[in-house]
Amino acid sequence: MRDRYRTSVAVTLIALSAATYSTAQEKSSVPPAIEQPLDNSVKSPGGLTKEPTVAIFDHREVQGILGKEVRSAANENMGRIVDVIVDRTGRVRAAIIDFGGFLGVGSRKIAVAWDALRFPSNEDKTERVVLELTRDQVRAASEYKQDKTVVVLGATGSLEALPFP
Amino acid sequence: MAAAPQGNPKGPAQNDPVPHPTRRSQRALDWFVFFVADVQTGFGPFVAVYLTAEKWTQVDIGLVLTVGSLVALVGQMPGGVLVDAAGSKRLAAGLATTVIAISALAYAASPVFAVVLAAAVLHAAASCVVGPAMAAISLGLVGHAAIGERLGRNARFAAIGNGLAAAAMGACGYLLSARAVFFVTAMLLAPALLALRLISSREIDPERAHGGPPELRAGVPPNRLAGLKRTRPLLIFAGCVMLFHLANAAMLPLMGSVLTTRSSQWPTVLIAACIVGPQLFVAILSPWVGRKSRAWGCRPLLLIAFAALPIRGLFFAAVANPYLLVAVQLLDGVAAAVLAVTVPLIIADLTHGTGHFNLAQGVVGTGIGIGASLSPTYAGYLSDYFGSSVAFLGLTAVAVLGWIAVWTKMPETRPRRESAIVGRE
Repeated sequence: MRDRYRTSVAVTLIALSAATYSTAQEKSSVPPAIEQPLDNSVKSPGGLTKEPTVAIFDHREVQGILGKEVRSAANENMGRIVDVIVDRTGRVRAAIIDFGGFLGVGSRKIAVAWDALRFPSNEDKTERVVLELTRDQVRAASEYKQDKTVVVLGATGSLEALPFP
Repeated sequence: MAAAPQGNPKGPAQNDPVPHPTRRSQRALDWFVFFVADVQTGFGPFVAVYLTAEKWTQVDIGLVLTVGSLVALVGQMPGGVLVDAAGSKRLAAGLATTVIAISALAYAASPVFAVVLAAAVLHAAASCVVGPAMAAISLGLVGHAAIGERLGRNARFAAIGNGLAAAAMGACGYLLSARAVFFVTAMLLAPALLALRLISSREIDPERAHGGPPELRAGVPPNRLAGLKRTRPLLIFAGCVMLFHLANAAMLPLMGSVLTTRSSQWPTVLIAACIVGPQLFVAILSPWVGRKSRAWGCRPLLLIAFAALPIRGLFFAAVANPYLLVAVQLLDGVAAAVLAVTVPLIIADLTHGTGHFNLAQGVVGTGIGIGASLSPTYAGYLSDYFGSSVAFLGLTAVAVLGWIAVWTKMPETRPRRESAIVGRE
């Protein structure tokens, strides 16, 4: 359980950087992340061990994703991201959103396709994560349960079943 | 059994002087109950919402909630013993309320795993004290003869507190932040303690407050045998309320998620109505229940409450219209009003003259806790494999069992005559 949680956090970070990267390439105005080897890496004895590289991002260019509020294109509240689903290759497939309810009663966890999420671009300073689905499309989806077949709701409103986990 | 006399059915024994609590103390107790209900509402399901917003994973949230409910379960009887032993019930209630407010502040100040876990444990432990302590103060203040009406009044103010707090905190969480809810919760400590201070401690008879016999002071030892004889009805009652909560606890959450899937318009408002609506019902009904509990006895009221539950379950299983679902949910208010009054009242009846009122509350509280914590697992299993309708039917079956248990096993406890308490044994 714990391990899975750790993985999902790590994956979150990777996914985020990837997502920001793609936006960065679209809007070429964004400075790319600077990658540089650590100073001491060159002088490593024997030269057998691989030294880590560091990637430096402006804190406005990347963000954590757990607990992030998601809204629809019409600015309806669509709940919060509570988990991220990856496949065996580590590719992010879906985000789990905690949808609906009042004071925590009646909310349901729904898996939505990762590419149905739109992240705030550089011009748009609202910091809002937008889900390209409507409340009506999401409310009918089946609930996400751990260790069960995951049914992912795509941006076209269609359902896609993942064989993992 | 020495306490209740044969003669005057309404009045107490000659050696059980009728207490005359002042209006001010009664009012202050109203407000204390109101504010404690407010403080307690801030916890509950809202903790999960808040921790999710604070980037907690579902695994950690689940762990904290499980630990909290385990402590709440195990702490029931020690909490009761503590309140029985406490010289000042007012002090016990005040300290417990303060601890609850501190844990709310801890949640708000630093949502770090260790802090939140400690806060959850503290909150659960303090809740085990504050519940019995409130009932003990009531009993110590008004005495056994008037406790039915007083408990009706308590239930009314608790319901108003719960309903208002749920609405206000929902708005607060929506407009400000989930964290703000816990600051508001902690701030409610001040009026709660003020109200508690205004209850005159001289009017709370510590002996009466744990169901102790007034004749003890007159040199008569407490009747141990009577206490033993009444253990069986107490355990039967604990079993009945366990079945009730096993059937009841998962019903609202399950119905809420069904509502979320079915209603395209205003699902959040409908679920809010499902939470606040029954509280409104409790506020209206409970003083009447308090009076009737003495006029009719508790058994007929219990049978009504236990019958409302399976009816609700059947409707939830069969009905699809979201507005009708909300209307059926109001039935919960009937059952909640009856249980809020009769649970402490029956315990007070069964422990009158034994000095173990609060321990017995702990015993019944443990039953409630076991039922309520198994309920989501049971309903969740049924709903995963067979769908929500079957889950509702499964809960209904347990509720019917509970009704049968009350009908066949539960004696009337109203002390009109000697035989009413001990005689059925």
